Amino acid sequence: MKIFFAFLLVIFLVFSGYHLSFRKLRIPLFARKFYLTGLEFLFLGLLLGPQFLNILDLKTCEALEPVTALLLGWIGMLFGFQFEFSKLRRFPRVFFLAGLLESLLTWVVVFGGIYFILPFILQISEHMRIVISMVLASAAACTAQTGLAMFSTRKSGNNQSIIRFLRYLSSIDGLVAMLALMPVFVFFPRNTEIAASRFLFGYDIFIGIVIFAALLILYNLFLIYRREQSELALIIIGMVVFISGFSSVMNFSPLLSNFFVGVCMVNMTSEKEKIFTTLVSIEKPVYLLLLIFLGSSWHLQSFWVLAVAAGYFVIRFAGKMIGGFSISLLGAKMKAYPPGLGLGLIGQGGLPLAILYDFQQGFQSETASIVVGIALISIGYCDIACPTLVGRLLKKGE
Amino acid sequence: MPQTIAKKDHLLSYLLIIVLMGLLGLWIKGIDIETGRQQAGVIIFSLGLVMLSAYVLAQIVNFFNLPLLTGYIFAGIIAGPYITGFLTAEMVDQLRLIDDLALSFIALMAGGELRLALIARQGKSIFLSILFVTALVIGLVVLCVIFMGHYFNMTSGFNFISLVIFAILIGVICVARSPSSAIAVIKECEAKGPFTGMILAVTIVTDVLIIIVFTIAMSLSKILIKGGSVIQLTEMSGLMFEILASLIIGVVLGQVISFYMERIRRDFLLFLLFLAFAVARLSIGFNHVMEIQYDISLHLEPLLICMSAGFFVQNFSRFGSSFLESLEKMSLPIYALFFSIAGASLNFDSLIHCWPLAVIIVVARMAGLFGGSWLAGVISHDPPVFNRNAWMTYVTQAGVSIGLAQIAARKFPEIGIYLNTVVLAIIAINQIVGPIIFKMALNNVGESGRQ
Repeated sequence: MKIFFAFLLVIFLVFSGYHLSFRKLRIPLFARKFYLTGLEFLFLGLLLGPQFLNILDLKTCEALEPVTALLLGWIGMLFGFQFEFSKLRRFPRVFFLAGLLESLLTWVVVFGGIYFILPFILQISEHMRIVISMVLASAAACTAQTGLAMFSTRKSGNNQSIIRFLRYLSSIDGLVAMLALMPVFVFFPRNTEIAASRFLFGYDIFIGIVIFAALLILYNLFLIYRREQSELALIIIGMVVFISGFSSVMNFSPLLSNFFVGVCMVNMTSEKEKIFTTLVSIEKPVYLLLLIFLGSSWHLQSFWVLAVAAGYFVIRFAGKMIGGFSISLLGAKMKAYPPGLGLGLIGQGGLPLAILYDFQQGFQSETASIVVGIALISIGYCDIACPTLVGRLLKKGE
Repeated sequence: MPQTIAKKDHLLSYLLIIVLMGLLGLWIKGIDIETGRQQAGVIIFSLGLVMLSAYVLAQIVNFFNLPLLTGYIFAGIIAGPYITGFLTAEMVDQLRLIDDLALSFIALMAGGELRLALIARQGKSIFLSILFVTALVIGLVVLCVIFMGHYFNMTSGFNFISLVIFAILIGVICVARSPSSAIAVIKECEAKGPFTGMILAVTIVTDVLIIIVFTIAMSLSKILIKGGSVIQLTEMSGLMFEILASLIIGVVLGQVISFYMERIRRDFLLFLLFLAFAVARLSIGFNHVMEIQYDISLHLEPLLICMSAGFFVQNFSRFGSSFLESLEKMSLPIYALFFSIAGASLNFDSLIHCWPLAVIIVVARMAGLFGGSWLAGVISHDPPVFNRNAWMTYVTQAGVSIGLAQIAARKFPEIGIYLNTVVLAIIAINQIVGPIIFKMALNNVGESGRQ
């Protein structure tokens, strides 16, 4: 079985290499979508991981922990940099509300669904049941922009405005995911003793605010004077690693802490454009590396995970459809958009990958690996289904 | 005047950063570490702290016209186990893989900086420099240790044979340089010209040749201990194979890089990261398999592989300059990371233990470097300013010397621990002094700021 999988993977990777080398190759739409999201790197990670070649073994992964912390922090900060208040204000407030509502409803539906079905799939404590439900709901609340980008150049008229709106929603809905993820690390950390002590959390919150302020002051001190691009790269890498390390010691999430620092920095510093350029310059390699690390710890023990992943996909689909429908109830302005807007929000994208990896790092256990494995398959389903569903939505709009 | 005020303001902000980071660091040190994640967090935090403080200290030392490299190394020393302990010896060990990745990048850069045309033009100078410097450094250090060895506690107990072996091995190890430091200082000074090209070529080629010279020295030492009269051919042929294999793999890697730059181009840094990781990991794996499975002590040199890959791309493809440009984008974080970890690895226990002997050897080494490079320059009719300054660029020493000392210590356990201690002490001195005088030499010759 192992050899068979290895053989398949090798063929697959050769094909990927071929695709990378000869980009004019005509491949079917679903496969093009697959390559666009970089999911082949997940398989590369699987091949390099302990299940096959064992190049990325446990010891190597431990030695590379600073790199993984950097990846998570980088994604968090990059996402935080999307929330520049002056730019957000350019859009009607109802758009912002729509994004939050859609995401929140998806979160609630998925949380409820997962919380209900989890005991039938895994034997876990109530603590982990809540944590897993919250993490999967947060991952489900996000939407990818990449799938929508494929359609943006081809459509016109009303469809253009739908795509623009969908892209706006997809840039906002991750906010709910991030905020909803915070309680996982604040109230339900891995160490239950810490969890108990955190119920006396007044002191912790005070300490958290002081440290957060200190980190912001530190960041701003570095940016008081103009820096060259290479210096800025060093400062950003250093700060992201520094903050990620701090978060891990505090049993908090590197993704979230860098996200909050990113939100503050984009609204505070005059160097924001330069920082953003630096962050974006290696955005894709960061995501691809994250996929490889996720892939290396991917558990494909049996085929039942495919069915469970399908279940997660269905629940998320329902959540997105409900969320999309609810937007049309928000007022006259929203009536212009079709009630089946959820069809355009199925692609899941990169942020959920970061959320899942953050969870895996923070709650290292076999259960966490299985859950992440299931969620990864579901992301695959979403990315494959996304072009067809967006196409159907736009066809309705014509 | 306004510049002075600006500098003072900068200095104040840097001092504030150091204070703030220090306070945060102290606070983290006070936390009880209970879980594995927290343990990993401490390492990650310390790495971030060291990188940022390396940057800040480098800026501070730059006010005094010292190289940035010195700041990085000082940051590592301060954060390391002997002063604040933010980076313990175990943490440094755990960061070895990241260190290796950074070294692979630096080696690619070093190889990429070597131009075939320049080597051909200055071949005579380069060859004579290597020859005379190697001979004089070994000669002076060996004589110095043999004649003065009995005055020091550490070596006074050795019998004559042990003292000679000790002297030969130290002498050979003293020839080794640090191409990574050389390339970092050259890049920082934006130096370019015949002098820069020559010293870089000498440094890199010496780092390859030193492995051969070291193997001969080891064989000689074995003969001195066990008797016999010939240098073992199997060892020499194995060594040649090792160097040849590393160079060939490097060339193949260079081809792969060129192909990638021609056909794909995108995500080049990610691709290089993969290559660096693969070279570091596969070399270790290969060496391990050869040693365990076949009892053959063949060691592929990741450094050599990456240098020859960089050299190939620079000299045998159309992408030399774009290749270097891509690497330089990430050079600052890589230097800060690599040299601050190197600073944290410096062994001050050894220095405290045997500093008088170490200082004498360092002085003898410097005399050998000066004599050898001056003589080579005079014979090759190089400009006098080159001859006066070349030795200053050869002082830095790092990883290769430590590696050689460890191999020697394993083969000759009776003197091994002393050898290791003295070598670590010598490296500590050379790595602090070396970059400073390196920068001075480039300024004296007038090749700084020419890139």
